[in-house]
Amino acid sequence: MAREGTLIAALLLLAIYILIAVFSPYIAPYAPSDLAGRPLEGPGKIHFLGTNDLGQDIFSCLLCGTRATLFLGFFGALVSVLTALFLGIISAYYGGRTDEIVTRIVDIMMTLPGFPLLIVLVMFLPPSLFIMAGVMGLLGGAQGIRIIRSQVLSLVKADFIYGVKAMGASDHYIMARHILPGILPLAIVMFVNSAQRYMLMGVGLGFLGLGDPSVIDWGQMISRAYSNGGFALGLWWWLMPPGLAVILLSMALAMLGYSLEIEMEPRLKTKEMIA
Amino acid sequence: MLAFVISVTLTFVLLHAMPGDYLHAILPYLAEKNPLAMELFRKQFGLDRSLVEQYVLYVLNILQGNWGYSIQYGQPVTNVIMVKLCWTMVILLPATLFSMLIGLAIGSYSGWTSGSSADSLVFKIMIFLGAVPSYWWAIFLILFLAFYLGLFPLGGYMSIKALDEGLQPYDVLYHAVLPIVALTLTTVPGIYYLMRNSMLHTVGQDYILTARSKGLGEMEILWHHALKNALLPMVTLMAMELAHMIMGSVFVETIFSWPGTGYLTYEALRVRDLPLLQGIFLLDTLIIILANMATDFSYPFIDPRAEVGEFG
Repeated sequence: MAREGTLIAALLLLAIYILIAVFSPYIAPYAPSDLAGRPLEGPGKIHFLGTNDLGQDIFSCLLCGTRATLFLGFFGALVSVLTALFLGIISAYYGGRTDEIVTRIVDIMMTLPGFPLLIVLVMFLPPSLFIMAGVMGLLGGAQGIRIIRSQVLSLVKADFIYGVKAMGASDHYIMARHILPGILPLAIVMFVNSAQRYMLMGVGLGFLGLGDPSVIDWGQMISRAYSNGGFALGLWWWLMPPGLAVILLSMALAMLGYSLEIEMEPRLKTKEMIA
Repeated sequence: MLAFVISVTLTFVLLHAMPGDYLHAILPYLAEKNPLAMELFRKQFGLDRSLVEQYVLYVLNILQGNWGYSIQYGQPVTNVIMVKLCWTMVILLPATLFSMLIGLAIGSYSGWTSGSSADSLVFKIMIFLGAVPSYWWAIFLILFLAFYLGLFPLGGYMSIKALDEGLQPYDVLYHAVLPIVALTLTTVPGIYYLMRNSMLHTVGQDYILTARSKGLGEMEILWHHALKNALLPMVTLMAMELAHMIMGSVFVETIFSWPGTGYLTYEALRVRDLPLLQGIFLLDTLIIILANMATDFSYPFIDPRAEVGEFG
């Protein structure tokens, strides 16, 4: 009911975002880099959301920025979840020295100040969306490794794993066919949640002026509006749209993550039925 | 300890591998016009020695409490950081306190009455709050409350009057309100989720059922039986949360031009003030390690079941 409503609403919103991201070059009225009109025009018939300080159409920028922002979130989450799955499963499955090494690495990564380190790395490495998302994913993966590892640890001790081992299945086969499916639901929830986090982080980096200057994303739009007069003059149509777009997307991902989590954790569900 | 050494080394290597140095960032043409100045500068800050030599000196100095000299400020790094840290605390402490109180109160209530309409309403509000990034809260608050309504200053930490009258605590507080609100708004949802989850797990325990069958009132059970147990796992998470928050205020401080460590980090990065950056990193790592240790040591006091022997 209400829960399914949340799930459907979140999926719908996300679908709209993805459609916009895919088809943005075709539906945007102007190319985002075009000097389409006079600078700093208000919202009107020709320019739906007005123009920025260079005379670029804000609505078109907004549509075209969807792609980069979504990419940052999803690619970052992909890297992070894949790292967590790979290291988490291997560490818990083999145990012993492998486990020791992975756990140590995770411990150390947890003590590193994540966000400042991220800023330094992004400044240091060449500006590209791929690298930015990858670095975010790798740095943020430590927590995920821990979660996956603890789940796999309890799975490995299950009777059916002993059974499969007794039947002579290889380690790779067991990990891919019997352990991976067991933690896949968890991994999916992790993916959605980290996509939200990395998307916000990516926009934040763009806001600090660390994004890829050749690609338009919402963080840079906010940054531009913030530092080039939109903020000082109170031009809400310049500042608000990218911000609202970020918030709506982030909410859709949060709602999706939440409803998936409830689907996966039956304990939460029964609680709600009793009360 | 090992973690500390590695993170010190890692930050040293990373920061020295970064392209560009202070002179290039601040005076792009000085090095070309006047090679001598460049040389003097490098010599003064020991940049002409080999990397290994710099590293050994750096580690030795840290152990002696000398964290180096900030190039930008011309002062010992520890002094600069300490001053900024105080300013960060002015907004961070109230924000942490508020968000903890609000998060714990609402979270435990929400978890206790899970499934009710009040719970689902609060939960939806929290999803919304959590979805809004901190920089957006900051911009939003400034735009509406400070720009359009003129209720609060646009940024900074004191008004222009302070030049004549000196720093007034009331004036600083007035400037700190919006940053505190912004930080609180961004931290509350995290604490709320954790507390709600913790409470959900507690509510299902047998001893709650026992208490209920004894005929105790709901509030009585919540206060004496559920809350204490639900708070246990929060201790660990809270310490980490706090440690991360000290750095997490980069956006809020930058947007409000609040002279704290977050803004300092951003500034130091921009002008490539390596010693200062190293100091900030070191401080962050130390804080996180200390927070970890504090949790480990305080746990046996909070939860007697966790015997010291089990830490191993």
